[in-house]
Amino acid sequence: MASVKIPKPLPTLPEDWNSESNFIVHAPLSPAVHRNLSPAGPHFLAHARRKRHSRTFSEDDRI
Amino acid sequence: MSGNASPSPPASPEIDDGTKTVIGIAFGNTTSSIAYTTPDGKAEVIANEEGDRQIPSVLSWVGSEEYHGTQAKSHLIRNAKNTVAYFRDFLGKKYSEIDPTNSHNSAHPLDVDGVPSFNLQQADDETVSTVSINEITTRHLIRLRDSASDFLGRKVTGAVITVPTDFSDTQKEALVAAAKAGELEVLQIIHEPVAAVLAYAARRTPEAQGVDRNILVADLGGTRCDAAVVASRGGMYTILATAHDYGLGGLRLDEVLVNHFSKEFIKKHKVDPGNERSLAKLRLEAEGTKRTLSLGTSATISIESLADGYDFHSTINRLRYELSAKKVFDQVVSLVENVVKKAELDLLDIGEVILSGGTSHTPKIASRIAALFPDSVPVNAPATLTTALNPSELSARGAAIQASLIAEFDKEDIEQSTHPAVTVAPHLSHPIGVVIGEDNSFQTILEAQTAVPARRIAQFDVQADGDVIVRICEGIREIVVEKVERQVNVIAEAAIRGAKRGGKVEVTINVGSDLGLNVAARVIGTQIGVRGEVKPEAGSAQ
Repeated sequence: MASVKIPKPLPTLPEDWNSESNFIVHAPLSPAVHRNLSPAGPHFLAHARRKRHSRTFSEDDRI
Repeated sequence: MSGNASPSPPASPEIDDGTKTVIGIAFGNTTSSIAYTTPDGKAEVIANEEGDRQIPSVLSWVGSEEYHGTQAKSHLIRNAKNTVAYFRDFLGKKYSEIDPTNSHNSAHPLDVDGVPSFNLQQADDETVSTVSINEITTRHLIRLRDSASDFLGRKVTGAVITVPTDFSDTQKEALVAAAKAGELEVLQIIHEPVAAVLAYAARRTPEAQGVDRNILVADLGGTRCDAAVVASRGGMYTILATAHDYGLGGLRLDEVLVNHFSKEFIKKHKVDPGNERSLAKLRLEAEGTKRTLSLGTSATISIESLADGYDFHSTINRLRYELSAKKVFDQVVSLVENVVKKAELDLLDIGEVILSGGTSHTPKIASRIAALFPDSVPVNAPATLTTALNPSELSARGAAIQASLIAEFDKEDIEQSTHPAVTVAPHLSHPIGVVIGEDNSFQTILEAQTAVPARRIAQFDVQADGDVIVRICEGIREIVVEKVERQVNVIAEAAIRGAKRGGKVEVTINVGSDLGLNVAARVIGTQIGVRGEVKPEAGSAQ
C-alpha cells in the first residue's frame, strides 16, 4: 500500500514525556456507524475476499 | 428494415466453449445503453444496428412487426397507441403504485390483477393482446442483448444492470426474472451513481483510486433526476445519501422549447398546434433542437406540415433557451444542494462532482453546479472539464467494468460477496489523524466514514535531530470560513527517539473491524521504531 507524503514535520517530544514502552494509550476510538458498502469495484471485491476468508491486509498482500 | 422484425435473427454459429461473454446494461426510462470491456480492460459503449449508443427504451408494433429504439420512438407520432415508452419504473410495481404521467402520449398502462399491462396489437389481424410490463421488459432486454451479441460476434450470456438507488427488492427481483425469461443471466444489479464512479475510477491508477474523497453524483435523466453523495475510501464506495426528483429531467426542457415554439407558431399562422399529432411532432423535433443547443449557441427547428398544413421553421439561441429554462435549472441546483445537506455534509466536504445522464450535456446546468463549489473541485461534465467522459455513457461503462470483474465468479461467489454480512461494515464516525507542525495542527490520515478494517500509511520528514512524538487523535470537522479539522480526543501517543535530520518517519495506522487500533511508527531505513495497540472500547465490537 502506498504511503501518503505529508510535508509538515512531526512535533518534537516534550521534555517531560516519559514512558517505558514509548507508547501511551489514552482512549479507545468513538463507536462506529454501520453502513452499507456498495458491492462494486475491484477494491470492494478485495474486501469481500478478505472478509470471506478472514484474512488480514498483510496476509492478503502476500497472496 | 428486415433485421428489426421479431425475433431477431439467430447470431452466427455459437460455440459453447464455456467462456462467458458478459456486458453492462444501463436500463433507463428514456434510453438504455450496452457496453463491453475490450481485452485491454477499457469499457466501450456499443452502437446498435441503427448506430445509436443511447437506445430509446421504446417498443412499438405495426402488425406483427416489432420495432425497437429510435425506430420505435418515431412511431410515437403515427402509431402512439401501439408504442410503449417510459416503462422502466413500472417494473416490479403494482398498478396502484405507478405514475403513468409520461405514458399519456403512448400506450397507457392498464390494471390487470394489479400488474401494469398494455393492450397492444401485435398480430397482422386486428386482435388485441394484453402484454404485461414484465414481458415488455423481457422484449427490451432481448433486443439489447441481441444488439450486443451481433456486435461482439458471440452470444451474450450474462450482464450487470444498473438501477436507481431507490429501486426496491421487488423491483430488482422482477428485473432478474424479466431478464431470465429472455435467457439473460443477471450477474449483479448495481446502483447508477456507483456505476458512474466506477467509470471514472477505471481511468485512474490503483493509487489514485484509493484517494479518499466525497463524490457527488448527479444523474440527470429524461424523466427523473437523482443525486447521491458517495464516500470513496480506499477505492470502496459507500452511499451516504440520495435524493430524487421524479418530475425533473430532459422532458421538462423539451417542454420549455415546445411552449416557446408553439407560441411562435400561433403568432405566425393563428393556428394552435395543440392536437396530439402536432404535439408529438413538435416534441420529437424540440428534443433534437435542445441537443444542438448543448453544442452550439443557436439551433434551428423545422417541421413539415406541423398543423393545418402549415410548415414550421424557426431558430432559437442558447441565451433565450437558458432564460426560458431557468426554473428547471434552479430545481436541478436545489436537488444537488439537498443531497449534500441530507448527507449531513457541507458543499466544502465534496471533493469531486460527476454529472451523469443525458441532461448533463446542458452547459448551463454544468456551470451552475460548478459555481457551487470551489475551483479546486473537478466537475466532470463536458462543459466544465475537457477530460470528462460522455455523461450518457457512464452507467453502461460502470456496469461493463463490474461485469468484467465478476465474469469468472461462480454465482455463489457473487451472492456471498453481496451478502449483508460482507457489505455492512462499521464506518469511522470521526476522522483519525496525527498532530503535526509547530502549530499542532491536525493531519487527517483516515477520513470519517471509512469502512473498517482499514489501513493507511503516512510519511513525515524529520527536520531536526532528536526525539519526535506521534500523537494520534480523533478529529471533528468544523466549518469556519473554510474547512478545518480539529483534534478532539487523543487516542494514543508514541515517541520516536533519536530521529536524524532529513530522515523520514513512516506511520502506519491499522483499524480493525472491532475498532481496535494498531499503530506502527518507524524511521525508514533504521531499526528505530515503536509499535502499539489500542484495544477497542468494551462493547463497541460488532
